[in-house]
Amino acid sequence: MFLASSQFLYFMEIMIFVSVIFMHMCKKNTSAVFLYMFQSSMLTLLLIIISIKEASLPFAMVTVFTFIIKVIIAPVFFLNLVKRHKFKFAVSTYLNMPMTLLTLTVLLTITHYKFLKPLVSLAPSKENLLLLSFATILASIFLIINRRGALSQMVGILSLENGIVSFASLAGLEENPGLQIGITFNLLVWVIIATVFVSMIYRKFGTLNVTTMKDLKE
Amino acid sequence: MVIIFLISAPLLAAILSLFVRRNSLLLEVFTITAAAIELVTGLVIAYSVHHKGSYSFTSYFSVDALGIILVMIIAVIGFVASWYSISYVREEAKEDIIGFSRVKQYYIFLNLFLFAMLSAVVTTSPIIMWVSIEGTTLSTAFLVSFYNKPEAIDAAWKYLIINSVGLLLGFFGTLLFFSPTIGVSDHHGMIHWQTILSNASTFNPFVAKTAFIFVLIGYGTKMGLVPMHTWLPDAHSNAPVPISSLLSGVLLSVAFYAILHFKVIVDSSVGTEFSQTLLIVFGSASVLIASFFILIQKDYKRLFAYSSIEHMGIMALGFGFGGIGAFAAILHMIYHSLAKPILFFSAGNIFLKYHSKEIANVRGTLSVLPITSITLLIGFLTITGVPPFGIFITKLYLLTAGIKEHPVVTAIVLFSFALVFAGFLRHVVSMIFGRNGESIPKGELNTGTILPSIVLVSILIILGFYLPSSIKLLIETAVSNY
Repeated sequence: MFLASSQFLYFMEIMIFVSVIFMHMCKKNTSAVFLYMFQSSMLTLLLIIISIKEASLPFAMVTVFTFIIKVIIAPVFFLNLVKRHKFKFAVSTYLNMPMTLLTLTVLLTITHYKFLKPLVSLAPSKENLLLLSFATILASIFLIINRRGALSQMVGILSLENGIVSFASLAGLEENPGLQIGITFNLLVWVIIATVFVSMIYRKFGTLNVTTMKDLKE
Repeated sequence: MVIIFLISAPLLAAILSLFVRRNSLLLEVFTITAAAIELVTGLVIAYSVHHKGSYSFTSYFSVDALGIILVMIIAVIGFVASWYSISYVREEAKEDIIGFSRVKQYYIFLNLFLFAMLSAVVTTSPIIMWVSIEGTTLSTAFLVSFYNKPEAIDAAWKYLIINSVGLLLGFFGTLLFFSPTIGVSDHHGMIHWQTILSNASTFNPFVAKTAFIFVLIGYGTKMGLVPMHTWLPDAHSNAPVPISSLLSGVLLSVAFYAILHFKVIVDSSVGTEFSQTLLIVFGSASVLIASFFILIQKDYKRLFAYSSIEHMGIMALGFGFGGIGAFAAILHMIYHSLAKPILFFSAGNIFLKYHSKEIANVRGTLSVLPITSITLLIGFLTITGVPPFGIFITKLYLLTAGIKEHPVVTAIVLFSFALVFAGFLRHVVSMIFGRNGESIPKGELNTGTILPSIVLVSILIILGFYLPSSIKLLIETAVSNY
């Protein structure tokens, strides 16, 4: 009963949002990976609650699959990458910390501006939850743009995907469970390919800072 | 049932290629056989669509008039690119640019790429379409970094990240499009294009507009519309030439096909003006920006890549203007798909001779590569819309469609066309007729590197003078559907 209460859902959505804020603030690659792991755990919990509410076994299976990919496999890939190449730090950002936090504040304010209110018509009873999910999406996009490290960009993309999944789940915009597993599998393939590329970048450029890649002409 | 053969042929070729050991010939046989099967099955489906209006198999696959045009573009260009690949990859292997493992990797990813594009076009599910288009990014990322040079890795990373972010935004937009179908789905819980379209009247207008913006940004990134185009010149210029021809001539159109699906839904919810305005804005920006880059280009592969951005802009503008503009856009899609591989194949032949992508380093190709120079010249005349080639007609239709309602945009576009022509003329003429100071061995590499271009040139010339009634009917049906 407690698990299904709206306060608990709200708490988890806050945790998902807060984790992306901490991703902006963290200075180590491993911290970013653990934050993604935490964010994915919260998302999985959210999905578990929805599957219990809907009493749907296929949806529960999707949740288990999501847990395996996002909370176990993807972080293991990233942590192995960090360990193999010994790249601990990912502090490099385009904006400094005060400006980053200010931008995040602006993004959060925008999502709660009346202009976006019609978007919550999808699930009026979950207005704040949906707006917070939308804020997670915007903050994740900003993370991808603001970070110079390839690994941070990857984590940003995965966080963006978490934000979209949480929004869709809360708004009831779900698809066939088979397709949801397909989407998560697609994510796994993406993680594998992106990890290979990060290794290639490190071997070629000796750093994960994407601003050092200046071989392109424009 | 034939649709299963269509999409499983490249997948099977990719799987079989995985088990090949030290035998390039087997890889080539698998690829060309799969491409031939795609071509034949595509023709069978085209026949069915021509007579019945659409082709469906179970509730998962359906091909309409525009769908079959895309299927045929994938099949024809896929076949020609596979054919060209054999000679091109052999030449690169001969020159020790690549080893067997790279050759194997190339054919596996080429087939996976074709499989993903075909799946995106024939599915009835927006989510499967999204997964398939994401699949095209994943299958081609390694092909962009194929030569393992720093700039290639740089381009591949840019390609992967920008397209992944774009497609995630497209995914978000796609999910928002599901809102009118909450509680409505088939017995498998799957949501089809038709399900969304038949419930479009219940779509909240604000959500519909927001969803379309996300979809346009998302798939527009894949399509190379300005300002989301930044990955495109890098990726297209670093990939192996046959892959560049597919990326440019086919994949961009597939992404546009996805946008058009959503356009129909948003149009029936909020009217046509909203989507048309957005397409005009993005389309005209793409044509204008690309024309400036074409003028100042120093790398011939990037020149052709920027030309793709321009042509995607033209297609977007066609649907933005509507009416005869939409007809022009689809016809333009066909001509562009046929013309762009000619340019890229010519670029490939030139690169194998001159070992440089710089325009300044390539001079006097007419004496070194006479047939390639002629195909390059025809490709240039076609792509810039010089009469009597088909693109002249489509550009004329486009300008006619736009001049009354959007005179300023039409004037800007006309100015851009002039810039593009001037840019291409300057670069191509210097490459073909310029004075060659170096002693580069004369003669074409082999027939396999020129025959595919000759075939495409022949098709282009025929279609430029005579558009079969069946193709015209398909385009007209597509225009009425979209």
